[in-house]
Amino acid sequence: MHDVAMTMRENSPSPKPPPRRGVGRFTLDMRQALSPWKQAGILAGSLAIGLFISVVILDIAGIAPFDLVRELAGVFNADSLRSVLVRAAPLILVGLSAGLAFRIGFWNLGLEGQMVFGGIGATAVSIYGIGPESTRLVVMGIAASAGGLLWVMLAYWMKVRFRVNEIISTLLMNYIASYFLLHLLYGAWQDSKTAFPQSTQYQPFERLSDIGYGINSALLVALAAAVVAGWGVHLSRAGFYMRFISANPNMAKVVGVPVRTISIAVIALSGVAAGLAGFVNVASQEGRLTQSFFDGYVFSGVLIAFLSRNDPIIVVIVGFLLAVLFVTGQTLQVFYQIPFTMVQLIEAIIVIAVASSEFLIRHRIRWTR
Amino acid sequence: MTSALELTGIRKTFDGVVALDGAVFSAIPGEVHALLGENGAGKSSLMNIAAGFYVPDAGTVAVNGETVALSGPADARGRGIGMVHQHFKLVKPFTVAENILLANPRPSFRSGIQDIRQNVRKQADQLGFDIDPERRVGDLSVAEQQQVEIIKVLIGGARILILDEPTAVLTDVEAERLLQIVRRLADSGVAVVLVTHKLHEVKRHADAVTIMRGGRTVATADPHVASAAELTELTVGQTAPLPARAERPRGTTLLNVGALYCARGDGQVMVADASFFVRAGEIYGLAGVSGNGQAELAEALIGARQPLSGEIWLEGPGDIGTLPPAVRREAGLAAIPADRYAFALAGSLSIADNFTVATIQSGRYGTPWLIDRTAMRRDALEAVAAYDVQGVRGVGQKAALLSGGNAQKLVIAREFSRQPTVIVAHSPSRGLDVRACAAVHERLLAARDRGAAVVLISEDLDEILALSDRIGVMTRGRIVAEFDRPADRQEIGRAMVDHA
Repeated sequence: MHDVAMTMRENSPSPKPPPRRGVGRFTLDMRQALSPWKQAGILAGSLAIGLFISVVILDIAGIAPFDLVRELAGVFNADSLRSVLVRAAPLILVGLSAGLAFRIGFWNLGLEGQMVFGGIGATAVSIYGIGPESTRLVVMGIAASAGGLLWVMLAYWMKVRFRVNEIISTLLMNYIASYFLLHLLYGAWQDSKTAFPQSTQYQPFERLSDIGYGINSALLVALAAAVVAGWGVHLSRAGFYMRFISANPNMAKVVGVPVRTISIAVIALSGVAAGLAGFVNVASQEGRLTQSFFDGYVFSGVLIAFLSRNDPIIVVIVGFLLAVLFVTGQTLQVFYQIPFTMVQLIEAIIVIAVASSEFLIRHRIRWTR
Repeated sequence: MTSALELTGIRKTFDGVVALDGAVFSAIPGEVHALLGENGAGKSSLMNIAAGFYVPDAGTVAVNGETVALSGPADARGRGIGMVHQHFKLVKPFTVAENILLANPRPSFRSGIQDIRQNVRKQADQLGFDIDPERRVGDLSVAEQQQVEIIKVLIGGARILILDEPTAVLTDVEAERLLQIVRRLADSGVAVVLVTHKLHEVKRHADAVTIMRGGRTVATADPHVASAAELTELTVGQTAPLPARAERPRGTTLLNVGALYCARGDGQVMVADASFFVRAGEIYGLAGVSGNGQAELAEALIGARQPLSGEIWLEGPGDIGTLPPAVRREAGLAAIPADRYAFALAGSLSIADNFTVATIQSGRYGTPWLIDRTAMRRDALEAVAAYDVQGVRGVGQKAALLSGGNAQKLVIAREFSRQPTVIVAHSPSRGLDVRACAAVHERLLAARDRGAAVVLISEDLDEILALSDRIGVMTRGRIVAEFDRPADRQEIGRAMVDHA
């Protein structure tokens, strides 16, 4: 009955130990509640340890801590800040996409595939010139949303109809999407001028432009999506129901929560967010569909969702920090010749640090005699 | 004679809440020693300390006269202490033999599992259990899972056997059988601790009884000498009166179940051609030996399980068998499922959330666009007070932190807050103490007097007999007999067995 307060011990598997009074032992208790401030403290401590390890590794790789600080500070000059903000937009959107789906226990790992179809949707509007110039971007955004939505709903349909686990289906559908993209880029949509496997450059009015202060309108799209998602998750009745769907779906159904309706809506929105991520990526960075504009976003999206505990508002912060890491990483790559995998290594170290803080927030380690 | 198990001055707090305060307990080999007390009296906590699951804050544990500091359940097992928990600790997708091997590790899996299989067969034979070591635990009935737990601790070499509320999940017949086996084990020199709150079991089957109240040991007595009234007095401090029941005319049919078929998870058809109806203002009791389809029927009624075929007709919406549960909720159906944490509560969410989730659709707690957290907290606080839910430090606290009886009170508070017209209650007083049990029964009777139709599915025949206006006996997935009040206990018992 009091399972929540179950005490575990490190040496429990061995049947023989006699009472070792005076020596003491570690005991591991489940915490029942911890104030948000202490939780934040533990999180900050873990992050600090993770960052320290990263600094040490970079030092070994030949980047002195002082240089590192300088490079990180360099992010805040106008040019770098602009690229950070441009990079942050799709990161925030994939973070939202993953976070929303994870909130109801749908493991959408198809962020890249949905981005691809978002990009394809937007580019189709550009290629076929749908709608007047003034509303072209809006139509591209809608087409991109539809693309992401269709691709994720296909996985949901397979889950409901054939009981295909969405972890497998969404992940594998990334490859299908990517090869379909190549099919277009080496075929019908190939740039006839350069003969490179990429679509023709968008018209200027088809690109997400800067709105001043180095802020790209792509970021506005991402922030608007985050606000809507944050409101939905924290303040709306649907958000309240979502908590029950993830905590106990059987119970939720029995007490009358419209589990299926909410699940479908949330999964659809997850697809829309990923589709929009594809859209803002192609429309703000390259200005055309390329072979690899979506590369690495599954990992980043899942990472952001995990670090932000699926909270849309925190997703914005984490997305921004990850963008800083990426931009700094590119600088380090150019000026210090470190491989880009180093950036991924640092990402991984930080994930592990935060994951361990989760453990410490839930458990208390005590030395008892 | 040296005590097999002796606990003295035990104190234990959970996050500042005192569960045990100077509790004492002592059992000698060869006796069945009952530990009696209400929910939250500290019985389970005390025995969890004896079995090495919790470390006491103060006090000593002595096994066979030797003071020990148990380093964990494995250490306790090594010292011959075995505990069968109220909620079984079994891995459902594993077979019986695998589960037992998990608790009693052997150097090699291949030879270990062979050895375990033989041991299981031998133990099962000795105890008169019909347990196939190759069956998956998830496919076993509750009573069979309990038998697996008992075999598990006996194979582990237990000489001190702690049974936490073992009969709470059993029918009369099953309980009687279990208690006879318990007696045989005691005769072979095992010290058996029987944690219970059923007085008649203590009177009939225990050699000694220790009574706990509010985390303290209040008395140790000889159950053959002490009167039932004295024991009750010690347990609850006051006796709960049986609720009065008014005779009232029966109304129209509110719920009709026709030729219903339901299958279990593994495809086995558990409810086969079940038909019955319940009218306004009556309590329809469904009695039966557990595992005869009651669980599946209850799940189908509350919407947790899709029936294979047949009709579940509800006044208003009509046949709701395949419609989502939300429809029957809107039509006024309330569900009190047997497994609270499977179908009634989300343990990781707050008390306020759990209380309001069923009614939020009505718009009572804000619009779909903006929920009203203040109103949710206010109503939850009121309900917690009105239904006497104990152990609540705030309605923002997680529901999983409530003890079994208090969690049930929370479920009942929620379900009754909507003035339901049809109530499906499955073992609603399972694991509850005398007072909480009486409160639940009063609520059910009050609902009946208000004109609601109540389906009471219970393996506790006393409960069925005390409350029901009509009684149906469920055997092999069918309603094989029906009795009007006052029903004869013997006849019902015969109906259960004759058709089995």
